[in-house]
This record gives sequence, structure tokens and C-alpha cells, in this order.
Amino acid sequence: MGRKVAFIAALFGALALAGPVQARVEVQWWHAMSGVLADRLNELVEKFNTSQDKYTVVAVAKGNYDEVTNGVIAAYRAKRPPEMVQIAERGYMTMLLSGAVVPVQDLMDQKGYKIDFSDFIKPVASFWSYKGRMSAMPFNSSTPIFWYNKDHFQKAGFDKPADTWQELEKQLYTIKSKGISECGTVLPGDFYWSLLENYSAINNQPYGTLANGFDGLGTEFVYNKTKVVSQVARLKKWLDDGVMQIAGQGFSPEQLFTSGRCSTFVNSTASHGNIERNATINWSATFLPHESDVNPPLNSTIGGGAIWVLKGHTPERYEAVAAFLNFVAQPETQVWWHGATGYVPATNRAYALARERGYYKDHPTREIAVLQLSRGTPNENSRGFRFGNFVQTMLAQRQEVEAVFAGQKQPQQAMDDAVKRGNEILRQFEKLNAGKTPETERP
Amino acid sequence: MTLRLSIPWRDGRAPVLQRHGGGQSKVGTGAVAGGYRAPVKARRREQEAGLKRANFGDGPGLPTLLLLPQLLILLFFFFIPSLRALTQSVLLSDPFGTNVQFVWFDNFKMLFASSEYRQSIAVTFWFTVAQNVLTLGSALVLAFATDRIVRGRSIYRTIILLPYAIAPAIAGILWAFLFNPAVGPLAQVLHSFGIAWDPNLNPTDALILVTLAASWKHICYDYIFLVVGLLAVPVSLMEAAAVDGAGPIRRFVSIALPMLGPTIFFLTVMNFIYGFFETFAIIDAVTKGGPAGATNILVYKVFVDGFVNLDLGSSAAQSVLLMSFVLICTLLQFRYFDRKVNYGV
Repeated sequence: MGRKVAFIAALFGALALAGPVQARVEVQWWHAMSGVLADRLNELVEKFNTSQDKYTVVAVAKGNYDEVTNGVIAAYRAKRPPEMVQIAERGYMTMLLSGAVVPVQDLMDQKGYKIDFSDFIKPVASFWSYKGRMSAMPFNSSTPIFWYNKDHFQKAGFDKPADTWQELEKQLYTIKSKGISECGTVLPGDFYWSLLENYSAINNQPYGTLANGFDGLGTEFVYNKTKVVSQVARLKKWLDDGVMQIAGQGFSPEQLFTSGRCSTFVNSTASHGNIERNATINWSATFLPHESDVNPPLNSTIGGGAIWVLKGHTPERYEAVAAFLNFVAQPETQVWWHGATGYVPATNRAYALARERGYYKDHPTREIAVLQLSRGTPNENSRGFRFGNFVQTMLAQRQEVEAVFAGQKQPQQAMDDAVKRGNEILRQFEKLNAGKTPETERP
Repeated sequence: MTLRLSIPWRDGRAPVLQRHGGGQSKVGTGAVAGGYRAPVKARRREQEAGLKRANFGDGPGLPTLLLLPQLLILLFFFFIPSLRALTQSVLLSDPFGTNVQFVWFDNFKMLFASSEYRQSIAVTFWFTVAQNVLTLGSALVLAFATDRIVRGRSIYRTIILLPYAIAPAIAGILWAFLFNPAVGPLAQVLHSFGIAWDPNLNPTDALILVTLAASWKHICYDYIFLVVGLLAVPVSLMEAAAVDGAGPIRRFVSIALPMLGPTIFFLTVMNFIYGFFETFAIIDAVTKGGPAGATNILVYKVFVDGFVNLDLGSSAAQSVLLMSFVLICTLLQFRYFDRKVNYGV
């Protein structure tokens, strides 16, 4: 008994001693990174935490993007949301109109941080801002690029992949017919993003009315009347001719490329880390191809995630959040993150810094994404996409494309059906959010 | 206060569905032990529904206490969620719940108008029927075989039961990998026979693959029930048949199988419930409902619409429909199927 009392007394003593030390304000950041990317993210947070002694950011991995979104929804409904959450690009409209977020630019203004939002790379800035004001802090921005197996191209007598889909097709068929590799390319798991959405942006094709949704919730899909239909037909043809393979479930498309089985692969620039580590082949990368009658090609659009700030916390915690977001936006942080992961630096200044230091001399393929994103002046076809329920419309579209691959539907029919289904989903979103304007009040 | 316990099966297995007072089934009447005289009213009920009485003395205290844990579980994990699903199914709401509109039965109307939902119903039908036939068939063969084995029977049993210990998601990945057309060894075997196997592209192949995976995972469940059921078949009957010159297969088909009727019936119901609800993880790991919605069974669609698409109203409407559908199916099975099953030994 006596011993127990002594122990408790000692415990209280220890607590009393710890008391006077200034308590750090702790804020939570839920994220969706895994593997190498999660390690890098934790390093980034650690850098911030050791750089000052007032705030502690706790990074919590909550699974993939869907799981993070569901987690934050449940937490918000239970009135215990984290301060920050990483949400994928497709969730933009849901978050913007949720009534649950604090616009990042408002927060930074209010807390007195001067961030030059006009310095952000255009497709990045336009994607994450509403009426010129940044809604979320761009964090991991990527874009699809064209990866290829150098040896396969050389063996077939080509220097590098062609710039246009028409020429590229000839190359891939040559590689296949010469028996250099088993398949010219592999269907990316997110082909709807790289081969349909980014394809539309690069080739200046409208995806939806009202400037791809930027001008209002009344937007409707129109990609059944554009080159997307012939793009789907092209993919189907490649599949039938064995020029393209599908990796399918239980196996990642990336492995078909890194193992040397397929000669090319359209995938995010963010897979640099993985490919550098896993590839047993002599690889390189280049810009995504464009149609031969589209010249010059426009910029591609972004994918990836941004950091959203949630409502319902104390001013001290928002101080911590603002300090962290300011840290994330710094060119030094951006350059480090860019080098560590392969995601693009979000600001022009960070890009210039990376260039200045000669980073791209050693890593030429890392520059492709930035160049591709920032080439030309984005127009309303290439600025990005503003569709509500964008995950749902994408899944409906993917299902229709799969019906083409399975031989159940013709490309035109499938795209008509996808647009019809997509528009019904958009109307649901419009009905739900009619007359709603995004949050502008301050925290 | 009395507590009624229904025991529709003589061998004391857990009943699938509690039969409450007023049921007109004759099931299990023979099971009521004599010697104890219940009050007239209760005795009639006993005779009607084949119920056995247990007396807990006066006052509702003890029975309530005993029932409480189960009732609490039901309350928190069934009644409250069901109620929330019901309310959600007539609402259109954004995921964060900041904007909610009452839309009557719009969610249901949209479902019935959607060809995707009809496809999902068809897929679910074929999937559960095929899975049921395959699972029961294989389990019967295995049970028959182990019944014939004398030495090392327990080792066989243990091996056959192993798949049950594997998490569905892992089982799914295993099957997806084995039959992956690019790298899967079993897919290579199929290809070498000239079969253009590709579950990533071909809807039928995908449906076959998930059916195989789901059945494989569930065979052991059926198997253990059938093995136990076979043990309950009186040896005297089998011996008599053997003396009459019936071979082992004949004995199995003509004697053991009819006597396994109740077990098979019970397993059929369980297999359907398994197919409807518990195959979610396998679908997620093997096909994600694709290609072109070919394996998008109802429960998986509920998940995708709710947790990926964040379309809570539609997802809730679907789960309400699914729940009522399974409820109706089970009731119909019991009402019409049940009578033809002979429970007597």
C-alpha cells in the first residue's frame, strides 16, 4: 500500500515538473499516402516539427483516398474532425460545397502569412481555387507522363517515342511485330484520368459544358462528341491486336512495365520513386502524345491531392495549421518534396530553384511533368475539371469503357451511355447544391 | 413468465430462423419431451410450434437479464443502423450532412429505372445460385469421401477446413493472382489448353472466377456440417442396406442424402446469405465489381455507392431493398421449402 502511494506521488511529481514546459499546440493531419510516399510525408512533418517549438503536426495515415474521405466525413459528423485532411483532386467540388471547410487563402490572410498564390503553376492554381481564391493548399500534384523502355525502342530502330498518337501507334505495332516485347503498352489503372481526361485537355477537346464545369453546376458532359470516342476505339483496337495489355486485379500495371514485359506505360510522374527503385530495365520518360492534327498541344491537368482545413477548431489550432501550410508552400519544402517523391513543385519559384541547382541535369525525366503542365496558356478545355460527384461519374464512365473492351458495346454507344449516366449524376449534385455558394466566412 | 426456446432440429444445431408463436409448421413436434405438463394454453402453443418450455420462475427479472446482452447487440448493430438506413433512403444529402433534402422515394425510383441496378440483380442471382450449387456439391463429395476414410480422417478434415481460417481479402488476392492472365500460373495452364481466359476483360470469366473464389472459401463451412450430419445417420440403416447389396454410392445417395435433408436445407439458406452479404471482400480483391459491372453484386454496389461515390441516399435505399429481399427469400424458403424436408430420422 505504502509503495503504491509513493508511486502515485512520484507520478504526480513528474507531471508537476513537466507542467511548466510550454505545451506545444498539437494538430492532426489525416493523409492517404502509403509506402515510400508515407515515409517521405512523415519526414516532411518531422522537419516542420523540429523547425520550431510551438506546434506539433501529427500525421495520421487513414488508408487510401476513399478511406480518408470517409474517415473525415464520419469524424466531422461526430463533431471531432482533424484540423487538416488530404483529399484527392476528384473530391474538389464535394469539399468546396461541403460547408465543412475553411478556405486556405482566407486562413492564411487572417493569420498574416503572405503567400504569393499567383506564383503557383497555373493548372495547379486553377484546379484548387475558386474565383481566384485558393480553397486548399496544393500538396502532392502530379500529372501523367509517358514512360518507355529505351532498349525496346532502340532495338526497333527508334530514337524515342513519337510525339503523336498516329506515329506512336506505328512504333508500338513495329515493336510488337518484331517480337521485341510482348506488348507495346499496358493499360493504366487510372486510364480515365490519363488517357481520357488529360487526353482531352492536351488535345483541346471540351469534356463538359460551361468550361468543364468552372462556370456553374449546370455543366453537362460532352465527351461523346469529341475525339474521346476515337481514343476509346484506338485503345480497343490495341487491346484486340495484343499491342496493349491489361494487368488487372492482383497485379499492378506498373510491374508489367518495370519488368520489361511491356514497352511503354502512361502513368503519373509520382511513380518516379517506385520506378527508380523497382525497374530492372533501361527506362526513360517523355511527354504524353497528342493527335497529329492538334498543334501545338495544350497543357495537361493535375491529379493528386491538396490539404483542406476543416471547420470547428480553436484559433490557436488554426495558428498551428497556418504555420504548417506556410511551411509546405515554401520553395525549399517544395523542392525537397519534389525530389523525394516525383510530385511536381507547386510554385514557379520552387521549380526555378530546382533548375538553378542543376537538379534536372541528373534527373531529366522529373522535369517533364512541370514542362507539360506549364506549357502554353491554359484555356477552358485544359484548365482542369469542375464536376460534382466526379468519382461517381468516373466510375460509370470506366464501366462503359470496360464494356467496349469486353466487346459488349461500340465506342460511340458506350460514350453516349457514359455521358447520359454521368449527366444524371451531375443533376443530382446540382439539385443538392442548388443556390449554394462556397464558404467565404472566416474561421 | 416463461421463456420459449425453439429447437427445430433434433441434433441441437443452432436454428437458422426463430419460429415464433403461431407458426403452422409441424417441424420438430416429435422433439417435445413428454412427462411435463404445461398449462393448457401454453401446451397448445407448444404443440403448434414444437416449442420446449423452460421455467425461470416468476417475474421478468432473470429472463430479461439473460436476454439483455443479445438485445443490446441487436439494438446497436441491427435496429439502430437499420433505422438510419431507412431514414437515409428517403433523403438526398451531401456526405458531410450539412445539406439534407427529403425526396420521398426518389432514390428507389432512380434505382428501378437504372439498368445498372437491374444488371446487379441479375449478376447477384447467377452468382449466388452458382456459388450455392458449387459449394454444396463439393462439400458433399468431400464429406462423402472423408466418411469413407478410416485412417487419418482428422488430418483430412483439418486440411479441408483450412480455407475458412484465411481472411476473405487474402483469399481473393490469391485467386486473382493465380488466375491473372498475365502472370497467374493457373491462367497459363488454361491458356495452354487454348482457352482465352481473361477475367480482366471477359465478364463471364470474371464471374466464374469470383464464384470459384467465393465457393472455395465457403466449402469448408458446408463440409463440417455435412460431416457431422453424416455421423448422425444410424449405422444400422447403412448396414442393412449393405447387407441388401447396396454399394457405398448407392447407400450415400439413397439413405444418407435424404437424411441430410435438414442440414442441406439449412446450408442452402446459409450459402445464400453468405453469397449476398459476406462475399464483399472477395469481390473487392478479385474484380472490384468489374469488368463492365459483370461482378457488381448488390452488396458490393451498396459499398461503392456509399463509400466511394458518397451517394448515401442511393446506397441506403439499396441496402433497404437488399435487406427486404433477403428477408423475403428466407421466409419463402422456410414456408414452402421447409415442408418438403423430412426432419424425422
